[in-house]
Amino acid sequence: MTSVPLSPTDATLPKVTVRRQTASGRVALTLFVIALIALVAMPWWAKTGTIRMILELCCYIAVAQMWNMLAGYAGLVSVGQQAFMGAAGYAMFVLAQTFGVNPFLAIFLSLLVPAALAVPCYLLLHRLDGPYFAIGTWVVAEVFRLVASNMGWLNAGAGMSLNVMKDYSGFERNVAMSLLCALLILATIGGSYWFLRSRYGLALIAIRDNPVAAASQGVNVGRLRFMIYVAAAVGCGLAGAVYFMAQLRINPPSAFDPMWSNVAIFIVMVGGIASIEGVLIGTLIYFIADRWFGEYGASYFVVLGVMTVLVALYARTGIWGAISKRWDAPWFPISRHLILKAEDRA
Amino acid sequence: MLDRGAGMDRDILLRATDVSKSFGAVRVLHGVSFDVHRGEVLGILGPNGAGKTTLFNMISGDIKPSGGDIRLGEQRLSGEPPFRRCQMGIGRTYQIPRPYSGMSTFENLLVASTFGGGKSEAESYAFCARVLQDCELADKANTRAGSLTLLDRKRLELARALASDPKLLLLDEIAGGLTEEESKQLVALVRRIRDRGVTIVWIEHVLHALMAVADRLLVLNFGEKIAEGDPQEVIANPEVKRVYMGIEA
Ligand SMILES: Nc1ncnc2c1ncn2[C@@H]1O[C@H](COP(=O)(O)OP(=O)(O)O)[C@@H](O)[C@H]1O
Ligand SMILES: [Mg+2]
Repeated sequence: MTSVPLSPTDATLPKVTVRRQTASGRVALTLFVIALIALVAMPWWAKTGTIRMILELCCYIAVAQMWNMLAGYAGLVSVGQQAFMGAAGYAMFVLAQTFGVNPFLAIFLSLLVPAALAVPCYLLLHRLDGPYFAIGTWVVAEVFRLVASNMGWLNAGAGMSLNVMKDYSGFERNVAMSLLCALLILATIGGSYWFLRSRYGLALIAIRDNPVAAASQGVNVGRLRFMIYVAAAVGCGLAGAVYFMAQLRINPPSAFDPMWSNVAIFIVMVGGIASIEGVLIGTLIYFIADRWFGEYGASYFVVLGVMTVLVALYARTGIWGAISKRWDAPWFPISRHLILKAEDRA
Repeated sequence: MLDRGAGMDRDILLRATDVSKSFGAVRVLHGVSFDVHRGEVLGILGPNGAGKTTLFNMISGDIKPSGGDIRLGEQRLSGEPPFRRCQMGIGRTYQIPRPYSGMSTFENLLVASTFGGGKSEAESYAFCARVLQDCELADKANTRAGSLTLLDRKRLELARALASDPKLLLLDEIAGGLTEEESKQLVALVRRIRDRGVTIVWIEHVLHALMAVADRLLVLNFGEKIAEGDPQEVIANPEVKRVYMGIEA
């Protein structure tokens, strides 16, 4: 039996070009590179206090973007990403403090821990739907906290200090923190952008919009969700390792603090879910609100909560959603604009 | 052991044997068996609720049969997830369109072409543009799928299924709501797809569209096959006439 060619032959295919980049994207990419350089150069223009503040900002951006990939694209609403931040943070402290590994090397080695823990966690959680999945992730984070509180070699409830950092001068530590800030942004924002622009980004958006159709179009939905879950665990782990290295101290309540999930949800919902732009805008708003109102304590959390609910009710797509409806000028363009050559237009 | 599949005719692309489906206590399909021959257009008729879409869902793997066996060529489909069935060459449309509403029409096709059809992204560009032209969607290539009209969403269903370059194409009521002229164009398109060597199973209420292109017809009623064969003979069948009121008109 001969097989009939199924696809049109090359001769009948139209001439096409596909535009990926936009003017706004080029401007934003330039600014992004400048921002990365500015981060790396921080020891020469910023005081230690400023560097610490920016490091915290970078951690918020990183964690929020990881949550955005999970909830905004993969449909995995997690409220327990702090599990992986704390796990990597502890792994880094143990490697550097207990085993004497160079702390900067320890940061990278510590990422193996969230990666390895994410696999069984996902296998356990992925059968749970919607709210049950969310509750499951929270339970996992609480279990991690309880385990850390009871492990002698993690110094149990008292926590650990990173005394080995005293071997480095203040300037050396600033250089390290600055490089780590740049790396964190490059890995989480740059990495997400690279992924979303690839054909896997197409599949991820397809899953977000209609997982049933995506599967019937050849997308391995389960595997892609798994990959995102593990990647988000590693991304949050990197943020955790960097954050606690700057803190020089870690203990179970800080390592597995649900505040990180609350803040990530606030940032992504207010800034605009399923967009990198939204994460950057949301982080900025959170950070400013935190500086201005942080001193009012609990009432300020109420304000953040109310803002999140209002956005969820009246502006589902957040600030970036409202902006992009008006101006089609993405900072991180991922779409593919088809241009058919005139003579081939149908 | 010899079974029906082992000595299967090379001429048969899909064979369903004694397929049934129950949702809880409700039996929706009762032991339906049929063959789809390579290169043919098989039309499926039946009143609403007869189980036609459910049959497609079991071929594409969206739901599991309660009993029976479905084979594509020599291969059993049970246990294969939907994404792999698509990669094996089964493309389908949904009766209620399921577009990826946040992406453009063109990007909707790219998903099917790269993941289902196994083409590289670069290869897919011109191919998907061609499919868009075939399906009258070229001027909406860069329109967000979520803002398409219902008619264009139906076209998109067909275009996206074609973009995965299927061997077997399952069409679920794609002609509803078309004008006579549009449905003529659709019939011509389906014929061209068949002439390229794609085997087609088409569920359709718009009888004249189906009659214009189907090589054989199969009629389902309350989950049972009541007729199968030559289209003229099938619609002349008294039982078919009785259950399928539309035909008498
Ligand atoms: N997921 C489901 N759960 C329960 N009942 C269903 C489900 N899908 C279909 N049915 C029922 O199965 C019957 C056949 O449905 P369907 O295959 O969609 O019919 P058709 O496509 O022939 O109109 C209907 O009575 C429908 O209500
Ligand atoms: Mg139906």
